Amino acid sequence: MQNIPIEQINANDRKFCISYPLKDGVLLSSINKIGVIQPLLVLGRRPYIVVSGFRRLEAAQELGFTDIPCIVVDMDEKKAMLSSIHSNLGRTLNIIEKAYCVDKMFTMGFSREEISDVMGIISLGFHEKIIKRMRDLANADDAVKDFVVKKNLNMQNVESLLRFANYEISGIIDALSTIHTTESMLREILRMLSILKLKNGDIDFSIIKGVDNQYDLKKRLKCSINPILSELEEDLNEIKEKCALPPEIDIKVDPFFEKEYIDMHIRANNPEDVGRALLKINSILDAGYIRSIFGLTTY
Amino acid sequence: MGLQLIDFVEARGNIVRNCPGTKHHICCGYKTIDLVEGCILSCSYCILKGYINTPNIRINSDMPYILSQIKGFIDTEKTHILRFGTGELSDSLAIDRRYRLNRPLIEFFGETKRAILELKSKWAQIEHLIPYLNPYTVISFSLAPQRIIDKEEKRTSPLYKRLRAAKKAQDCGCFVGLHFDPVIIYDGFEKDYEYLIGDIGRIIDLKRVLWVSLGLLRFPPRLFERFLEENRKNLLYGEFVRGEDGKYRYIKKERVKIYKMLYSLLKEQENDLFIYLCMERKEVWRGAIGTTPEDNEALMGFFDSRVKTLYGGTL
Repeated sequence: MQNIPIEQINANDRKFCISYPLKDGVLLSSINKIGVIQPLLVLGRRPYIVVSGFRRLEAAQELGFTDIPCIVVDMDEKKAMLSSIHSNLGRTLNIIEKAYCVDKMFTMGFSREEISDVMGIISLGFHEKIIKRMRDLANADDAVKDFVVKKNLNMQNVESLLRFANYEISGIIDALSTIHTTESMLREILRMLSILKLKNGDIDFSIIKGVDNQYDLKKRLKCSINPILSELEEDLNEIKEKCALPPEIDIKVDPFFEKEYIDMHIRANNPEDVGRALLKINSILDAGYIRSIFGLTTY
Repeated sequence: MGLQLIDFVEARGNIVRNCPGTKHHICCGYKTIDLVEGCILSCSYCILKGYINTPNIRINSDMPYILSQIKGFIDTEKTHILRFGTGELSDSLAIDRRYRLNRPLIEFFGETKRAILELKSKWAQIEHLIPYLNPYTVISFSLAPQRIIDKEEKRTSPLYKRLRAAKKAQDCGCFVGLHFDPVIIYDGFEKDYEYLIGDIGRIIDLKRVLWVSLGLLRFPPRLFERFLEENRKNLLYGEFVRGEDGKYRYIKKERVKIYKMLYSLLKEQENDLFIYLCMERKEVWRGAIGTTPEDNEALMGFFDSRVKTLYGGTL
C-alpha cells in the first residue's frame, strides 16, 4: 500500500466504476473525520486508473485531500472489472449499480457464462429481456438514474418506465419527483400512464401537472382511463353524502360495480344502537337512496 | 415467433372434462375434449398464452381412450343433451387437414346420435371433412370484423372464407354455430359489427344456425402486461375492470350496452336465433337480453330446448 497523489490518478476514467451515485454523504463525513481507511485499488499505469474506490476518491477530492492510500495492482481489464464488482459485493447494490455490472461486462467482451455467473450473484435472472433493460438503464440519462435510485424502483417499475420515450420519461420524472409514492402506487401510476399512451398515442401531461400527492395523481389518471368507473364512483359518493350516514353505518359497493349486491355494516354496542341504525336505514330507503345505489350496479 | 413443434402423446388422465367456466358467472355445461393442446394460429389475445407454457402443440393420439371417455360422459348423463368441443385448448380445424384428427370423432358422434360435437375454428378448411360430416357435428366459426382479423388474428382465415365454409357445412346438412368471441371494443367497432352481422345474414342460412355465442374480451392479468408491451391498442381501448374471477373485463355498464346492441342486430336478422352469453353474470344477461337463466343448469336447459327444436326427435 502507498499514498499516491490524487493528481496522478485519472479520476475521469470510470471504465471499472459500478458505483452510483458517486456522492455519498455518510462516507464523506466519515472520511472527513478519520480519513480513508480502506485503500483504493488502482492499476499501476500512469496515470493510475481506479479499479475500486471511486466513492472514496470522490469524497477525498471534495474534502481537498492531496493524496490517498492505494494498492497498486497489475491485471488485465477483465480481471480488474471482476475485482471491481466483487469488491462491492459486501454492500447491497442498487439497481443502477447492477445495471453497470451487466453493461460493462458486455462492453468488455465477457462470455455469456461469466455474465450469467455475476448476474446470479447480484440476484438478476439471466434473461435477454433483463439484460436489455439493464443495459438500457446503464446508458440512460443521469436524471433517469437519479430518479430510479431516489425512488428505489424495482425491476418491474424500471421496465415500465423505460418503455416510454425519452421526452415522456422526463415528463414522468417531473411529475413524480416532488411527491411521495409507494412502490405499488408507482407501479399503478406507470401502468396507467402506459395505458393512456396506448389509447391516445401520447401522454397529455397537463392532466397531471401540479399534483399534490400520489392519490391525487392516481385519481386524475383514473378519470382519463376509467371515465365510466370514475363517474360511477362520483355518483356513489354523491348518494352517500345525501344519505348523511353516521359513522356507525356504512354501505359498501363493489369497487368495480361488478357485483350486484351491496353490503351494509352497522356497528352497535347495544340494542338501542341497532334500533337507531335501522331507523336511519329506513329513512334512506324511503328517500330512494338505496334504490339509487342499486341503480349503479344493475341495468 | 419461433418454430412450433408437434408432439404426439399418449392420452393420460381426463382428456374429456367439464369446461372450467368461471367463478360467479353463468356457464353452459360444455364438455371439452383436449384432443390438441396449443394452437398455430397465435391470435394476439389468446388466453392460451396465459395458461400453456410451451409454444409447442401436443396431440393426444390415443383415440380409443378419448372415445371411451366421451362415451362415459354420454352414458352417465340422464338429463341433458351433451355438447362436446375440441376448441377449448386449440383451434378445432387449424391442423386437421394435415393430421386428420377429427374424422374418428365425427364418425363416433354420427354413430352414437346422442350428443353433439362442435368443431370451433377460425380456420376455414372443411373440404377434407365433407365426406364424413353428419348432423351430429356442428361446424362453428369465431367471427370478428375483418379489421380485427387483420390486426389480432393474423394467421387465421379471412372472414369471407369462414362464412363461405360455414355455408358449405350447412349445404352438407350440418348445423353451424357462430361465436362472436371475443368481441373487442375499438374505435368504430359498432359500425363494423353492424356490417359483419349484415354480411352473415346475406351468406349463411340463419335458420340453420344452432347457436350464437356472445363474449366480450376477457383475459387474465398476465395478458394485460403482454398487451401493454406489444402495444395492442385495439385490445386495451375499452375500459377494463377486474371481475370477481380475477380476469379483466370491460366495465359492466359497457358490456350490457354492447351485448344489447349485438343481440338486437342479430335478432333483426333472424328472430329465432338462439343467442347466449359466454361466462357472464346474471345481471348482464338480464340487462342485455331481458331474461336470465337462474343458474348453469337452467342454461343447459335452454340448450336442450334449442337442440330439440332443430333436431326434433333425433337426439
